[in-house]
Amino acid sequence: MQTDPNGPNPKKSKDSPSNSANTESTQSPSPFPDEVLEKVLSFLNSDKDRSSVSLVCKDWYNAERWTRTKLFIGNCYSVSPEIVARRFTKIKSVTLKGKPRFSDFNLVPQNWGADVHYWLLMFANVYPFLEELRLKRMTISDESLELLATSFPGFRALSLMSCDGFSTDGLKAIATHCRSLTELDIQDVDMDDFCGGWLSCFPEDFGSLEVLNFATLDSEVNFDALERLVSQCKSLRVLKVNKTITLDQLQRLLLRAPQLMELGTGSFQQELLPGQFGDLGIAFSNCKNLRTLSGLWEVASIYFPVLYVACASLTFLNLNYTALRSDEFGSLLAHCPNLRRLWVLDTVEDKGLEAVGSSCPLLEELRVFPADPYDQHLRRGVTESGFVAVSRGCRKLHYVLYFCWQMTNAAVATIVQNCPNFTHFRLCIMNPGRPDYLTNEPMDEAFGAVVKNCTKLQRLSMSGLLTDLTFEYIGKYAKNLETLSVAFAGSSDRGMQCVLEGCPKLRKLEIRDCPFGNAALLSGLEKYETMRSLWMSSCNVTINACQRLAREMPRLNVEVMKDKESDDSRADKVYVYRSVAGPRRDAPPFVLTL
Amino acid sequence: MKKKRCFEETFEEINNVQVPRTLPLLDHIDLCEEEDGVVGWPPINSWRKKICHHHHHHNSRRGCTNPTNYVTVKNGCGGGSRSNSMYVKVKMEGVGIARKVDLSRHHSYQTLIDTLMAMFVNEKVQGYKLAYQDKEGDWLLAGDMPWGTFINSVQRLKLLRNGN
Repeated sequence: MQTDPNGPNPKKSKDSPSNSANTESTQSPSPFPDEVLEKVLSFLNSDKDRSSVSLVCKDWYNAERWTRTKLFIGNCYSVSPEIVARRFTKIKSVTLKGKPRFSDFNLVPQNWGADVHYWLLMFANVYPFLEELRLKRMTISDESLELLATSFPGFRALSLMSCDGFSTDGLKAIATHCRSLTELDIQDVDMDDFCGGWLSCFPEDFGSLEVLNFATLDSEVNFDALERLVSQCKSLRVLKVNKTITLDQLQRLLLRAPQLMELGTGSFQQELLPGQFGDLGIAFSNCKNLRTLSGLWEVASIYFPVLYVACASLTFLNLNYTALRSDEFGSLLAHCPNLRRLWVLDTVEDKGLEAVGSSCPLLEELRVFPADPYDQHLRRGVTESGFVAVSRGCRKLHYVLYFCWQMTNAAVATIVQNCPNFTHFRLCIMNPGRPDYLTNEPMDEAFGAVVKNCTKLQRLSMSGLLTDLTFEYIGKYAKNLETLSVAFAGSSDRGMQCVLEGCPKLRKLEIRDCPFGNAALLSGLEKYETMRSLWMSSCNVTINACQRLAREMPRLNVEVMKDKESDDSRADKVYVYRSVAGPRRDAPPFVLTL
Repeated sequence: MKKKRCFEETFEEINNVQVPRTLPLLDHIDLCEEEDGVVGWPPINSWRKKICHHHHHHNSRRGCTNPTNYVTVKNGCGGGSRSNSMYVKVKMEGVGIARKVDLSRHHSYQTLIDTLMAMFVNEKVQGYKLAYQDKEGDWLLAGDMPWGTFINSVQRLKLLRNGN
C-alpha cells in the first residue's frame, strides 16, 4: 500500500495548500476526507507499516488507530492495558508475548509474572468483538480461560504456546462456551492434565473447527467424541492428536478428514493386522492436501510405507520426538523430495543427514535436536560432517538449529560458503566452552565466517569457546542481526560493547555465563531503548550499575533477580526492557525493580 | 594467586561459613530438572526434557528397533521429573558455575565421585575432598557414614581442592 504522505495523486498535491512544509501541521486540511484515509489504511496489515503510518501526522495517527484490528505486543510489559485501550478501539485479534525466552530453560523462577488476566479484564470491557488470542510464554489460569470463553460471543481462535498456569478445566470452558471456535492450538505448555473429558464438552452439533492441536496433552480423550468432531468440522485443515491415539483410530480419523493439510499423528507402533495396514495406507493416500506431518510418537518404522504416497507432497516433516536410525530415516526421506522444513532427532546421525543432503534439494530449514543432551559420555548424535553434508545438497538452507558435541571452524566456513543465505543460524555445541576439536582453537573464526558470508543474518545463537574476537566480527559484519543469544563466551567487556555499538538492528540480546560486567552493561544506555529487551544472567554485573542504568534511562524497566547464595552487590539475573507503562506493578518479591 | 592452604585449614573455612538455612529463591526455581550438569544447559525446553528422560531410561540401546515405551507423566510438575529424583547442587571450589547432580541415580560414593569428576573434568583437579551440608546446616566430609544415611541427610555438595 502507498504510504506517501503527499497523497496518491501527485498532481493534486502540487496545487493543494497542504503540500510540502505543512503536512504535519493540524492547521492545513488533509487532501482527502477521513473516511477515505481510513478506508485506505484498513488495508494495511503489517505492524511495521502501521507504525510508520502513525508517525506521519496526527490525522494519520488517528486514522491508523481507529482502523487497527490486529494487536501485536512482543513484550506484555512494554505497554499497559490502559494505554492500549485508550489508543485502539476496534481490536479483534491480540498476540501477547510474556516471559523472557530463557524461561524455557528454567532460568526464570515460577510466578515471575506475565499473567494475562488483567489484559483479559480490559479486553472484556473494551473489545467485546475480540476473535483471536495468541499467547506465548504467558501465564493463564482456568479462571482466565473461563472469562475468555464467556466474555466474547464471537471468539474464534485460541493459541497457547509455552504457556502455563491452567488445566484441562480451563479447556472445558472453552469447548463449552465458544460456539464459533475455529482454532484451538496448544503447544509446549506446562499445564495440569486431569483428564481428556474437555474434548467431550464441545456441543454435539459443533462443526466450525479448522485447527485442533492437543498433541501436548497426556490424557486420553473420548474417541467417539473426537471422531464425531472431526467428521462434523468440514473445514478442519490442521489436526494434531496426542500419543494416546492409536494407529487404527488414526485411520478412522483420516477417513473422516481427507482434506487435512497438517497432521500430527498419535502413537505409530500398534500391532496391525494386514488388512488394517492396507486400510491405513489408503487413508493416508486419500489425503491429497497433506503438507505437514508430525507426531509419530513411538514409531515402528515397518509402518512407514503407509506414508510414502503422502510424503511426496510434504513440505514440512517434524520428527523431533521420533528416535530413528539412519537407515530407516533414509528410507522415509527418499520419498520426501519436496521438503522445505525438516525437524529431526540426532539419532539419525551423520549418515541420516547425508540422506537429507541427497534427498531434499529444496530444504530451507533444518532443526536437529538432541536425544541425549545430558549424557556427555555417550557423545553420539551428529557431528560437523552431517552439517556439512546437508549444506552441500541443500543450497537453499536459510534456517538451522543444530545440537552437537563437536564442531570445527573449517566445517562452519564450508557450510556458510555453500549456504550464504542464512537468516537464522543457531548452533549449540552441547559442552560449554568447547574449542575446535581438531585445532583446539576458539570457535571465533566459525562465527566470523557466518557473519561475513551471511549478510541477511537476523538471528544468531553461539556456543563453543569464544573470545572477544567473535564479538568484534559480529559488530563489524552483522548489520541485519536482530536477535543474539550468547552463553559461556567472550573474554571481556569489550565483547558485549562491540555488539551494542555495531549492530544497528539489534532487538533482543540474551546473555548467560559471560564475563561481561558493568562497563559493558552501561555502554548500551541509549541502545536499550531501541531494543525490545536485554537479558544478562550469571555475568559480572552489580546492582549499583543496574541502579545507575535505571536512573539514567527512565523509559527502561530494569529488573534484577538475586541468587541468595551470591554476595549482596551482585546482580545475578538482569532483565532490561523498554516500556511506556513504567515499572510493573505485579512484580513478585524476588524481582527487584530498580 | 592465593597462598596454598593445607586441607584442614580449607575444611575449617567451610565449617565456618554462615549459610542461610532456607533459600527462598531456590525454592522458587523449579527443581524438577533432568540435568546432571549446568542449570538450563543445553538450552532445550521442559517438554523436550520429558522426552529425553524417557529415551535415556527406557531405551538403553540407541537406535534399536524396539520403540521406546513412553511413561506418561501425570503430574503438574513443569519439568516432568520422576517422583524419586533427588537433585542437589554441587560446587567445586573456585569454579563459578554450580552444577546439579541427581543422587537417586547413585548407590555408592564411588559412582557419585566418578560422576562428579566427569562433570568437572575441565578443571584438572589433582586431588579433592567431597564435603556435604547436612540438614542442620553443618558442612561435613562425605564418606564416613553409610550411603543410605548420607542420602537422607545431604542438602548440598562441595568439592574441595587438596592443598598439595
